Amino acid sequence: MDRFKQTFSSKKWLAIALATLALGIALSLVSTAFLTFSNIQSVLVQASVTAIMAVGMTFIILTGGIDISMGAILFFTSSLFAKIMVETGSYSMAFTAAIGCACLLGAVNGLLVVRFKIIPLITTLATYTMYRGMAIHLTGAQNIPVPREMGFLGNGKLMGIPVPILLLAIVFVLGLYLLNKTRFGLYVKAIGNSEQSARETNLPVNWVTILVYVIGGLTTGIAALILLARVGGLQSGIGIGIEFTVIAAVVLGGTKLSGGSGTIVGSVIGAVFLVLIDNGLNLLNASPYIYDIVKGVVLLAAVIIDKVSFERQAKHLLEQKALRIKSTSGVA
Amino acid sequence: MDSVYKAEGGSKAKLRNSLGALKTYPSVPIIVSLIIAFSSFSPYFLTAGNAESILAANSVVMIAAIGMTLVFLTGGIDLSISTVISASAVVAGTVMASTGSIALGSAAAVGVGLGFGLLNGFLIGYCGLTPFITTMGTQLIARGLAFVISQGIAVKGTPYALLDFGFYTLWGIPGVMLICIAILIVSIVGLSQTTWGRELMLFGSSRDSARYTGINTKKIELSVYMISGVLAGIAGMISIANLGNAIPGVGDTLLLIIIGGVVLGGTSMNGGEGSITRTILGVGILAILTNGLNLMGIPFYDQLIIQGILIFVGNGLAMKLSSNKR
Repeated sequence: MDRFKQTFSSKKWLAIALATLALGIALSLVSTAFLTFSNIQSVLVQASVTAIMAVGMTFIILTGGIDISMGAILFFTSSLFAKIMVETGSYSMAFTAAIGCACLLGAVNGLLVVRFKIIPLITTLATYTMYRGMAIHLTGAQNIPVPREMGFLGNGKLMGIPVPILLLAIVFVLGLYLLNKTRFGLYVKAIGNSEQSARETNLPVNWVTILVYVIGGLTTGIAALILLARVGGLQSGIGIGIEFTVIAAVVLGGTKLSGGSGTIVGSVIGAVFLVLIDNGLNLLNASPYIYDIVKGVVLLAAVIIDKVSFERQAKHLLEQKALRIKSTSGVA
Repeated sequence: MDSVYKAEGGSKAKLRNSLGALKTYPSVPIIVSLIIAFSSFSPYFLTAGNAESILAANSVVMIAAIGMTLVFLTGGIDLSISTVISASAVVAGTVMASTGSIALGSAAAVGVGLGFGLLNGFLIGYCGLTPFITTMGTQLIARGLAFVISQGIAVKGTPYALLDFGFYTLWGIPGVMLICIAILIVSIVGLSQTTWGRELMLFGSSRDSARYTGINTKKIELSVYMISGVLAGIAGMISIANLGNAIPGVGDTLLLIIIGGVVLGGTSMNGGEGSITRTILGVGILAILTNGLNLMGIPFYDQLIIQGILIFVGNGLAMKLSSNKR
């Protein structure tokens, strides 16, 4: 039992995984429409956009940073893609420009954070405003449809698997590899634990920080193309507030906002969990306005549970330590 | 010889003093140059009517920004301010539509704000949760509440007396701004002249030393989020007076302007550094900028770019100057 507790506490993402499973079981009991292959598939497709972004956001939050501008990057990337498609009709050019630009905007965030040392929240708040303005400047606030073939990216299937899910799988695996198997991943966590000591041990803090925001931009770019394909065209409301959903997914997945500890698995499951709530409320025919309330309550409940379990653990550790001290002093 | 030396020292000290003032209020030169620039571009900029419209249009943001400043001073953040404005506006609108009483409506607005403030303050102060996530949760709840109650459409049936108040002016100052000024004075005095204010500042600059001094830090945090909630409630009420209806999405777009104004004024998000006066200047810059650029016919998306750059530069300047001061 103790061992079970230990694995449970060391793998925080298990909590959200169990919660997702429980919610899934509950929904399948309530509605027969839930546990169908097509519904599960549509949940995953819906979750793919935020889940892909959550992978990038996890890297950023692990360093102790945050990126509020993700929604604006998403909007700018979609605008650029749609604009280039309309003007030139060249897919290769539009894809390269969109993904390149998403990375570039991420790099700007990273550079500003590193160079001016203003806290990331403010920095990305400022760039959020800028990027959004730039995007509307680019298109003149028009709604631009994208070519029909583009829909492949959003609704198409490759080997029987929907393309968004495939893309999510690729991003997920790459993210896992980068975070757990490379030196870069180690540095990311080290910076999040203590930037000061990371600097003192001569880790390339600045480069890692910039790169982390580039990863955030890249994942947002990929998500933008999927979203654009699914919506069918550029609309002015795209991406507003999505960064908060992404942050919620990351936090639900057990990643600490202060940095240093967290997993990509948790973030992706967190994103799925949030979509599952939507899906469930939809199956229950709830008013769409209640969705926000439910999500807010769930988010608060999650942080409260996390806090309580953390305190219990700390208390347990302290008691053990006290016992050990008692026993050693008894021998002496 | 002696007197010359003294005179030199005097002028140097004067220079140092004025530099010190610049360090505390780095937004003053920005405001002055903005006013000069805009008045040379547009003859309508420096008119009483325009000043009146700037004041009336920014009272909601200003009141909310006071609450946000107090929260920032403790090293926290309140993301729920924006949607609490919407929720309290909608609740007040609904109450007024059915009873026709402005007093009851105001009480409802303040009550909703107080409720959310208490929730935030309890979770952050007493349960020790992170402000960002906690207020993100309450932000969602408040937005949901606003839309559930209003069913997503503007709540009509605002009493005429309240609509009239929206147009009321005293010596050229809009009535809604008078309320804002009263709150400003109370908060400035409260922050600088009371024990509570000094405890708050100490808490913001160093939590541990505040705790060791025996300050009830939980109470301080609770009080700050409570005030910010109540101010959001008042702001919601004023938004009805300004817009004529209670609109469920009224606060959503304000969050970034509120935070931007506070940050631009030079209040640090890390706590302990900043003041209400700075926030007045910061919100003032954004207000003057929006108004001036509108008069010049600059489209709103280009204004967003300028705002973003200015928020960044303004905060960077303030942080750099205040770090030199130490």
